[in-house]
Amino acid sequence: MNERMKKIFGLARLFVVIMGIIGTIVIAVYQFDNRNIKMTLVTDEGNQHIFLSNDFIADGQFETFLFEDVNEIKLKKIRFYGNWESILLKELNFGGIATYVSTVDGGTMNWEEDGIVFTGDGKVSFVMDTLFVEMVQELSASFLQERIVMIGLVIAIAAMAVIICNGIQEKCMADNRDNHGPISEMSRFFRDIRHYWQYMVFSARADLKAEVADSYLNRLWWLLEPFFNMLVYVIVFGQVMGSSVENYATFVFSALLMWNFFNKIVGYSVKLVRSNKDIVTKVYIPKFIILMSNMILNFMKLLFSMIVLIVMMILFRVHIGINIFWFFPAYIVMMMLAFGAGMIFLHFGVYVDDLSYAVGILLNMLMFLSGIFYDVMTTLPEPLNGIMICLNPAAMFVDTMRQALLNNVAANLPVLGMWFLIGAVMCYIGVHIVYKNENSYVKVV
Amino acid sequence: MGDIALEVEHVSIDYRNLMHMSLHQGLLRGDVKRADIIRAVNDVSFTVEKGKILGIVGRNGSGKTTLLRSIAGIFRPDEGYIDTKGNRVSLMAIGIGFNASNTGRENILKSGMLLGCELNYVKEHMEEIIEFSELGDFIDRPVRTYSSGMYSKLSFAVTAILDTDIMLVDEVLSVGDEHFRKKSYAKMEELMMSNRTVLIVSHATETLKKFCDSILWINDGNFMRLGDTEDVLSEYDEFMKL
Repeated sequence: MNERMKKIFGLARLFVVIMGIIGTIVIAVYQFDNRNIKMTLVTDEGNQHIFLSNDFIADGQFETFLFEDVNEIKLKKIRFYGNWESILLKELNFGGIATYVSTVDGGTMNWEEDGIVFTGDGKVSFVMDTLFVEMVQELSASFLQERIVMIGLVIAIAAMAVIICNGIQEKCMADNRDNHGPISEMSRFFRDIRHYWQYMVFSARADLKAEVADSYLNRLWWLLEPFFNMLVYVIVFGQVMGSSVENYATFVFSALLMWNFFNKIVGYSVKLVRSNKDIVTKVYIPKFIILMSNMILNFMKLLFSMIVLIVMMILFRVHIGINIFWFFPAYIVMMMLAFGAGMIFLHFGVYVDDLSYAVGILLNMLMFLSGIFYDVMTTLPEPLNGIMICLNPAAMFVDTMRQALLNNVAANLPVLGMWFLIGAVMCYIGVHIVYKNENSYVKVV
Repeated sequence: MGDIALEVEHVSIDYRNLMHMSLHQGLLRGDVKRADIIRAVNDVSFTVEKGKILGIVGRNGSGKTTLLRSIAGIFRPDEGYIDTKGNRVSLMAIGIGFNASNTGRENILKSGMLLGCELNYVKEHMEEIIEFSELGDFIDRPVRTYSSGMYSKLSFAVTAILDTDIMLVDEVLSVGDEHFRKKSYAKMEELMMSNRTVLIVSHATETLKKFCDSILWINDGNFMRLGDTEDVLSEYDEFMKL
């Protein structure tokens, strides 16, 4: 009976995996129809949307831009969106726009610091060149980002299906008493969190206090450190390097806060068991509790830095809007990914001595690939920018957070959702392998 | 007599000799050979009745600490099982989860919670712990300013006062100065009178003779004898003379 059940569930898992592979292949080669494109023009008078249907794009009759009832308009950016309204296909800043303009009807085109100004008499109208038309036609035909996101979703859903399959198997086979099925592990996970919650918070607070306990300026450091960091970014990046990005200091500072959190958690997790040898060898404690406690500690520090960030945003007069709420999902996804990756590295960090060096290098590389200091979408060449946003989680969450905060742009929801699911799967896998192997950690350290 | 508080059945614990491994080794060698497994505890079974004190003796490296750790739940045995009958177990060790920059008071709370006590419960017993540890004003100073004696006194006090049902003691009765040692002995005697089950690992036969109801002797991970304190200890002494 049991053997047969095992076989059935094995087949079910195989089926899920095969479906996943088929889905991936179908999405990779399927010939999608050309799609509609939505252009968002960011001007000094607010955003204007232009909808281009796919037939219209094929005709190529959309090179003229017309603004009624104005004498001049300042154009800052053009964003291109596809079928999924929030997937950003391309973003042109005003420098990029200027290269495509061929003529301005009855007016002039002037450069300014933060945009390009078109003038006219009663109406402003300018004509783009054929390169622009070709570029939009290309965007309409290419489905690269969508394909990547859909494949990512298929893989994440397949992984979840396998986990659910294991859960059902655990439920059905009552004598399966190894306690490592998804259901018992999940309930153990939440039970452990409840049980150790007080400890986690207390230990985080005590550690935070310990860090500054006997310095002269004491708790003031929590504010001073981010404040002076901010000064450096304002001076070095804002003045000396003079980047083309608006509000460059805020741009870098907000991204660095997020990145530092991720970086610290993942970096810490690799050495976690070793650096907490005192605890781990003397009492039983679920290892993720120590990681979570460290996350709480860093989160508290983050909150202090946030105060500085808010002050900065007020000083530099950043316009905010309703889309600023996408800031929170971005942070949640980031924390899930940090926890999931942290748990997996925690496990391997116990056995492999020099993993922390390797992870350090990896994180460093990731930092420069993720556009902390530049804007991925406009700086990297196509199609690398889209791929980077979809496949590099750090680039994704930093970009989502920053766009929401500084530009009032809605999140790239499909990509965010994809990474949310992948993050959830990673958390499960991390918790699973740590629960399964934590017994032997003490014997190794 | 009383109920059984702890049951250890055919427990074996292995140490895999993979220990530390660098990326280089890991990539070149693949996984570890099976032969590298070292058996630290081999098929040991015993039971302890509630309120009894059991001493564990054996040569260095005979698996006493390993056994205690697996009873404390730090790792599960590879074979056999350990049933603590729902009792809370604490391994009395020096400075569980102490952070040297925190004050003694904070460390008491942290340590207590790690032992599985509620925050409020630890707070209630705070004064008692501080009094027992004889630290006085030092309790509000960072632990790194403590002398090693004060450090051990504090950690002994935490485990001694906080009420766990089964206490595992690993060679810590020699902490502190003469006065504190006497106090610890008194505390141990008090514990013995109360309904707590205690397992002591020690090389000091005098201590064991004083406290223990029975003695377990293991040698190289193998079960040698379990029985009355006097008998087993004299046999053990005989064995060690060789």
